[in-house]
Amino acid sequence: MLRDYLPVVLLAALAVAFAVASMTASRLLGPNRPDPVKLSAYECGNEPIRLPKGEKFGVKFYVVAMLFIIFDIETIFLFPWAVTFRTLGLFGLVEMAIFIGLVFVAYVYVWKKGGLDWAEGQGPASVREARAAAEADLGEAARAR
Amino acid sequence: MDLLDWVLLVARVVIVFFALLIVVMVLIWFERKVVADMQTRVGPMRAGPRGVLITLADGVKLFFKEGITPTNADRPVYAIAPILAMFPAFLAFAVIPFGTHVHVFGRDVPFQLADINIGILWVLAMASPNVYGIVLAGWSSGSNYPLLGSVRSSAQMISYEVGMGLSLVAVLMYSGHLSMTAIVDQQAGVFHLLGLGWLPFPRWNFVPQFPAFVVYLICSLAETNRPPFDLAEAETELVAGFHTEYSGIKFAMFYLGEYVNTVTVAAIAVTLFLGGWRGPAYPAVIHWFWPLLWFLLKLVLVMYVYVLIRATLPRMRYDRLMSFGWKVLIPFGLVWVLATGAVVVLPEVYGRRAVLVGAAAILGTVLLVSSLPALFTAGKKEQVRS
Repeated sequence: MLRDYLPVVLLAALAVAFAVASMTASRLLGPNRPDPVKLSAYECGNEPIRLPKGEKFGVKFYVVAMLFIIFDIETIFLFPWAVTFRTLGLFGLVEMAIFIGLVFVAYVYVWKKGGLDWAEGQGPASVREARAAAEADLGEAARAR
Repeated sequence: MDLLDWVLLVARVVIVFFALLIVVMVLIWFERKVVADMQTRVGPMRAGPRGVLITLADGVKLFFKEGITPTNADRPVYAIAPILAMFPAFLAFAVIPFGTHVHVFGRDVPFQLADINIGILWVLAMASPNVYGIVLAGWSSGSNYPLLGSVRSSAQMISYEVGMGLSLVAVLMYSGHLSMTAIVDQQAGVFHLLGLGWLPFPRWNFVPQFPAFVVYLICSLAETNRPPFDLAEAETELVAGFHTEYSGIKFAMFYLGEYVNTVTVAAIAVTLFLGGWRGPAYPAVIHWFWPLLWFLLKLVLVMYVYVLIRATLPRMRYDRLMSFGWKVLIPFGLVWVLATGAVVVLPEVYGRRAVLVGAAAILGTVLLVSSLPALFTAGKKEQVRS
């Protein structure tokens, strides 16, 4: 059983060794002439106004991460069922339909709460108004055509 | 295991590793040539015959370039991230059977690195660590654009991973095996399309599992950050995304990882949906060669589809990308899993009548799901008014 994984371990070792070896080779072969401008963070040639150390980013990303955990675990629950569902027969199918249905209730709730909408309600009011106006314009243009 | 077994094992690993590198090299050239063709350019033409060595030339050039580590960077993480982005892609390829076996020195050597009995799970497990490489690269660069690119791309990759998992569950239910070799065996033989005896078609999973195949193709593009889902490196907004600060050989590692990943997801599509190494004919001349040839032909075909999509479609907007993943692919995947279950199980219980029962159930679910968006938008407009 565990012997099946031997080639995988060897392949992992080879891949990491290849990466480390090429990085070392590049360090030996390539030039090394650092200067402060070259080593500064990229900002199209300007001094960056602020850098991201300790910076916060959109709470949406955390929401996506939590939703991912819920749905990925649901998928993982589906795997063992999918392997044996021929022997479980109709009983297994109904069970799984109930389980998926329950998770689907949560899904509908999240959708309704706006957890799956990315842009809506984000940004300052002026941006939201501008976006709404632009969308209205587009709609009018489409209707005119 | 005696010495000969060990030698054969190590030889197999080394050969597969370098063969994969060569396949990647040729496919990068192939992609550049096809894209060039579609844009009426010549494409790479200087290095080697018709420019086939262009990738090698680029790689060698990058060896001789300076590797820059920005002052703000978190040094150890910055150095490890490219390795983390590269090696999981190789590991996922380890379970792909790319041929039958060859008889050397009195031993049967299979054309597959490891026939692990949890094949599909292994593939999913190795699709995830890629995200670490990208997140750590963006975070450790200590610069604005890489951080934005990496956070975006990680949200995208985990969103589409769920859809990919669901499409794999459907295949798993249909074939009833987790092992890749068993799935290829299950696809042996022919269908008779429309019940006609004279119209045989290979029994490949993409026919009965066509919706799952489409979901898989879309999710695999998003998972590998390929166009039209390459928002991680949308140069119009994010310079180069998570690898903005990387140069020299470390950048080459990201590039290599991305393409090995592309080859791996294409190989998984071939194995699970297109019959793996099975082909129309196996002439008796060099018996190990033909399955390998069929596998490679199918791989090139899937890659060609990827390249066509890249050359045809514009990049998606980020909010549309996310809502497509969450609001379309996931409910569709769930419904399709249940539909597959119904189609496989119900006939065993109820016989022929089950087709009607199943069809009614599927129709009902589809109607329910498709009416959901309308319900929500109606509720939302009222809220805005009040």
